[in-house]
Amino acid sequence: MRHLAGTVFRKELKDHLRDRRSVLTAVMFPLLGPVVFLVMFNLLASWYRQDRPLELPVVGREHAPSLMAFLERYGATLKEAPADYEALIRSGTLDAVLIVPEDYGKEFSSGRTAEVQLVVDSSRQSARHSTLRARRLLEAYAGLLGNQRLYARGIAPELAIPVRVEELDLSTPERTAAGVLNMVPLFLVLAAFAGGMQLASDTMAGERERGSLEPLLLNPAPRGAVVAGKWMATVTMAAGAVLLTLVGYLLVVRRVPLEDLGVKARFDAPAALGMAAAVLPLTLAASSVQMWVSTYARSFKEAQTYLSLLMVVPMLPGMVLALSPLQTKLWMFAVPVLGQELLAGEVMRGEALGPLPFFIAAASSLAVAALALRITSRLLTQERIIFGRG
Amino acid sequence: MIEARNLHKRFGAVTAVEDVSFTARDGVITGLLGPNGAGKTTTLRMLYTLVRPDGGTALVDGVDVVQRPEDARRALGVLPDARGLYPRLTAREHARYYGELHGLSGAVLDKRVDELIELLDMKDIADRRAEGFSQGQRVKVALARALVHGPRNVLLDEPTNGLDVMSTRAVRTLLRQLKAEGRCVVFSSHVMQEVAALCDRIVVVAHGRVVADGTPDELRARTGKDSLEEAFVATIGSEQGLMQ
Repeated sequence: MRHLAGTVFRKELKDHLRDRRSVLTAVMFPLLGPVVFLVMFNLLASWYRQDRPLELPVVGREHAPSLMAFLERYGATLKEAPADYEALIRSGTLDAVLIVPEDYGKEFSSGRTAEVQLVVDSSRQSARHSTLRARRLLEAYAGLLGNQRLYARGIAPELAIPVRVEELDLSTPERTAAGVLNMVPLFLVLAAFAGGMQLASDTMAGERERGSLEPLLLNPAPRGAVVAGKWMATVTMAAGAVLLTLVGYLLVVRRVPLEDLGVKARFDAPAALGMAAAVLPLTLAASSVQMWVSTYARSFKEAQTYLSLLMVVPMLPGMVLALSPLQTKLWMFAVPVLGQELLAGEVMRGEALGPLPFFIAAASSLAVAALALRITSRLLTQERIIFGRG
Repeated sequence: MIEARNLHKRFGAVTAVEDVSFTARDGVITGLLGPNGAGKTTTLRMLYTLVRPDGGTALVDGVDVVQRPEDARRALGVLPDARGLYPRLTAREHARYYGELHGLSGAVLDKRVDELIELLDMKDIADRRAEGFSQGQRVKVALARALVHGPRNVLLDEPTNGLDVMSTRAVRTLLRQLKAEGRCVVFSSHVMQEVAALCDRIVVVAHGRVVADGTPDELRARTGKDSLEEAFVATIGSEQGLMQ
């Protein structure tokens, strides 16, 4: 029996690996996660990086020389604003433009409130940080001058500030970055499904569609051995995809300025091993369920449609976890998909878990795999499955 | 030897096979002849264990197909109605795969596969991938994998369907050779000429029942007709489906 399963396994893998297009898909998908990761992190870092000088185009610099000197002293790079600055702001090329009106000097000298305008597009996420910095600098300048005017009249400036508002911004770059980092377990789990999808569709639905299932079942090999061999081949592809994803992350993480963002995440070799131990058992369950679904499908195409829908299953808990981390309880590890996403997340954050959660998650995957394989083997004794449903 | 005993099968409200019994002996080519829809394919499927009879049973070399389907399959070589190939495997790999599933390996398997390639005259395609094979080449591969374990009993469902003249001749030669080796050969056909050219014994099936069973001469004598074709028409009671 084991010998026969091995024969089926070798044939399926050889057959599948010769299909260059599907192998290419199988390789591309796992690399998608790490690429998204790389792009997102570099984007985040570029938004938040503090040492970058604030670039502020100004209209009418000559009207406010002392303000300009103040801005430059505090690190702003000033330059003449182009004529079409409004369009440039809308298109996102410029973050903000400062306009100093002609009568600024007159108002200023007469001790009234002089007006400047900061032109921004508040709907543009990437410009928010620059805008905020420009506004703070301008407010600091106003505050400084106001204080000087009060001092000159012998009044303590504090009198004019009955309430001081200090803003505590909880939306730190760390949190945003952690959100992106939470996508890593999701992509690992997706790889466990995506890697074997092609082979699972081809090995059951495809086998019947091309008319080779009936001859195959004419061999004296037990149905269980045939199903087991096909399943092992599917698991191999899925496990390959998971490992490829992990390697992708390991390579990418060196090129990502995690420290700049103050993110606490472990992504070294032991952590990668921990994540592999967390997610690999899921491939047993995912592949067996895929084969079960594929056995029901009338054609290869139909199987692919069903299996794509099946991919939504890992997306749901993954999305929830990425947006709002759960308070982890032990039973959650026993839920396939959710358990693996939690485990991988905890490993990534460097939590010490002990072997029990790993064991629970692997055992539940094994149970699902055993059940789905049993059902699939039984389906292969049914005439409507072997000969297709008219 | 294959013995069918009162085989009966229904699919929902439709009765595919009402009552089929016949015996196919070793060293004899037995033809199942009948119009399309007579129940030939379902009968064969019950013989090769993929359809479970609702009544009756069959014995393959004395092994009951209902009770010990795996052992029955071991003694059978089958060319079923579905003869799909794996487009990315070569002809030789197809034969080897099935040989391994029958428990063959090593030098025995190599030798057996080489013999089949010789026998079926497929040296030119042996190491080519099955993608793009002609109908005749596909049937040769399907025959090679069906015969790789050297079965005592061979079942073929419309083996020459869709083949050109040369491939048809090749299949006929093969069946005669199997007969000469003392094997039990059963094949189904709806083409009278096919059956007349090959069979030592003819089982005529219509509406799920055996309506005649005997040698061509016996059939002619029983119906009192001179030509086999007239004899068939008389037996079945219609001309439908007997002509190609």
